[in-house]
Amino acid sequence: MATIETSSLTRSYGDICALKPIDLTVPQGEWLSVMGHSGSGKSTLMNLMGGLDRPSGGSLRVGGQDLSTLSEDGLARFRREFVGIIFQQHHLVPYLTATENVMLSQYFHSVPDEAEARLALERVGLGHRLKNRPGELSGGEQQRVCIARAIINSPKLLLGDEPTGNLDHKSTIMVMELLRELRAEDRFTVVMVTHNEEVAAWGDRTIYLDDGVLVREERTRS
Amino acid sequence: MAAFAKLIPQLFSFGAMLLLLLRGFPGHRLPVTAASLAGLAAGAAGTSALLGSLPGEFSFQLIRGVVGTGFLLLWGVAVGALYRGPADGSPPSRWSRLVGSTSYAALLALAASSTAGAICACRLSGTEPTALLYLGAGAAALLLAAAAWGAERLLPAPLAVTPAGLWAALVALLLYSSSHLIRLDLFAPLTMKVMKFTHDFVHQFFESMLIPDHLFILPHLWGYIGLLFGKEVGFWGGLVLWFTPPLLVILAIRFERLPSVAHIRQGAQRRKLLAAAIKSRRFKLVAPVFAVLLSAAALYRSQVPSVEYWDPKPLPVTASAAGDIFIPRKGEVDIEDGKLHKFLYQRGGKEARFFVLMTPQGELTVDLDACAICKPDGYGQAEGTVICYYCVTLIPLETVGKPGGCNPVPVPFTEKEDGALTLINTWANTVQSTAKAEEGK
Repeated sequence: MATIETSSLTRSYGDICALKPIDLTVPQGEWLSVMGHSGSGKSTLMNLMGGLDRPSGGSLRVGGQDLSTLSEDGLARFRREFVGIIFQQHHLVPYLTATENVMLSQYFHSVPDEAEARLALERVGLGHRLKNRPGELSGGEQQRVCIARAIINSPKLLLGDEPTGNLDHKSTIMVMELLRELRAEDRFTVVMVTHNEEVAAWGDRTIYLDDGVLVREERTRS
Repeated sequence: MAAFAKLIPQLFSFGAMLLLLLRGFPGHRLPVTAASLAGLAAGAAGTSALLGSLPGEFSFQLIRGVVGTGFLLLWGVAVGALYRGPADGSPPSRWSRLVGSTSYAALLALAASSTAGAICACRLSGTEPTALLYLGAGAAALLLAAAAWGAERLLPAPLAVTPAGLWAALVALLLYSSSHLIRLDLFAPLTMKVMKFTHDFVHQFFESMLIPDHLFILPHLWGYIGLLFGKEVGFWGGLVLWFTPPLLVILAIRFERLPSVAHIRQGAQRRKLLAAAIKSRRFKLVAPVFAVLLSAAALYRSQVPSVEYWDPKPLPVTASAAGDIFIPRKGEVDIEDGKLHKFLYQRGGKEARFFVLMTPQGELTVDLDACAICKPDGYGQAEGTVICYYCVTLIPLETVGKPGGCNPVPVPFTEKEDGALTLINTWANTVQSTAKAEEGK
């Protein structure tokens, strides 16, 4: 069963066509890497898949739901319950502790549960950093808080927008290994936008975008 | 048109009542609507017939008794809601099966709307009934029913009404509806009952403890004990009794047990179920909170009634050397017009107000503008009653002239051949003895 199915999916901003008709299927549990130069439409595609943006044309089904027909409330519900997102810039609330940052995600999903948030942080290896604020954590640790925040609501789809973009090599490897472990346990689908060939190679399949067009795709893992 | 305008609060209450019933019994829309409309018509027609055949206070007392019974039942329902069993997991109890049945839904709708209809009829008492008025009221009721059907579909889906919440809101609507008529108002008699209960309780307590009234207790201590007999005790006590049932319903909902989620492995799913239960619990609070607001509105109506009391400026009168006061039958005022006419008699720097009134039985009565119990704040006349401004007790016009309780103190008088009234030695006979009686309390 496919988690994501697009058919002639397009996105335009005025006269600028950021995404030209794309047909893509991402099966459940797959790790898809999206590569391309700046402005190639990677983030646009990811935003559409995450319900952060609406398509200009074509169809986009994620988890069996046609996102173009959902109301704003429906889209918010979809994001809340179906998607977890990891950003390059972390977007953690600076005056909340690591635990509270994870609980914030629970709050918007349903109700906060501190014990569960602590467990999630322990899962990503931050059991000793529960009470630390983002400013007191390294880049890699902050990204691991983001991962805990993204997976706390058991999403079916995990989106990553350059999640290792500002991490050193060692931290990048740690984050990637962590994501692989979590995916094996929770069986969510991963779509990861990256510039980095090495990061893309962690996925099952890589697609290449150029000027909004899917130009190439290759299977990186059997 | 003016008569129809008087019915607006009652008709809107009926509309809100139907809306609540439709949401409270979502599976029984048709029987609930039919029972509500039939009940409204039957209640209005029955009470109109009753008012026509039994003029006087009986019909009003009966309807007030019905509303009061609803209020007492609400107390039972509210206390029962606090002791209700767990909402989830257990098989439906006999009570929950009953409240889910069509017959219960129709019966409750019938009872509530027939009381609403009775209040409408009371509201129109004294108004010349016309076919147009009945037609207009009937059409308005039908329109409101249609509007309630439409509005119910627009209400958010999670907005559920619990059986106790429905009771609270229905009774509050009836209280609000009846508070527009001083003869149906429930809060003022409630405060009187509280005041009397406290008064009697303190007396009984002193007697049971064999404490003599004046021998051992210092006079200034009596000042404090006397506070228990004041109007304020009745008001605050009444306030507690008035608001407790809907607040108990709110508490019952607030303490409603959340579903057990321990068996669900996935944390997000667990939290989602809990969040849904908390949200549903929050929505269930809407009806009892609405009831609290309506009760507050009814209370305000009771304290600040919109009826205009007939309370004329007292005309000064003098007395003869023997202390008799003469009032001509057709003088500056016509004392036979069925209205209350006040007079002021001054003597030695002190003054006494009294009034003359022709009762509905056609008998003239002369009374002090004070009773033997309350502070002499005086009386006003409205809707077939006189009202004591101090304790807000309504005294039917038929009983004015009879001594006792909060009734105005009757003044003995004779009628001369020319019809003039002679109040016999009023100061010595009535005013001073009443003042002494009040001081002695």
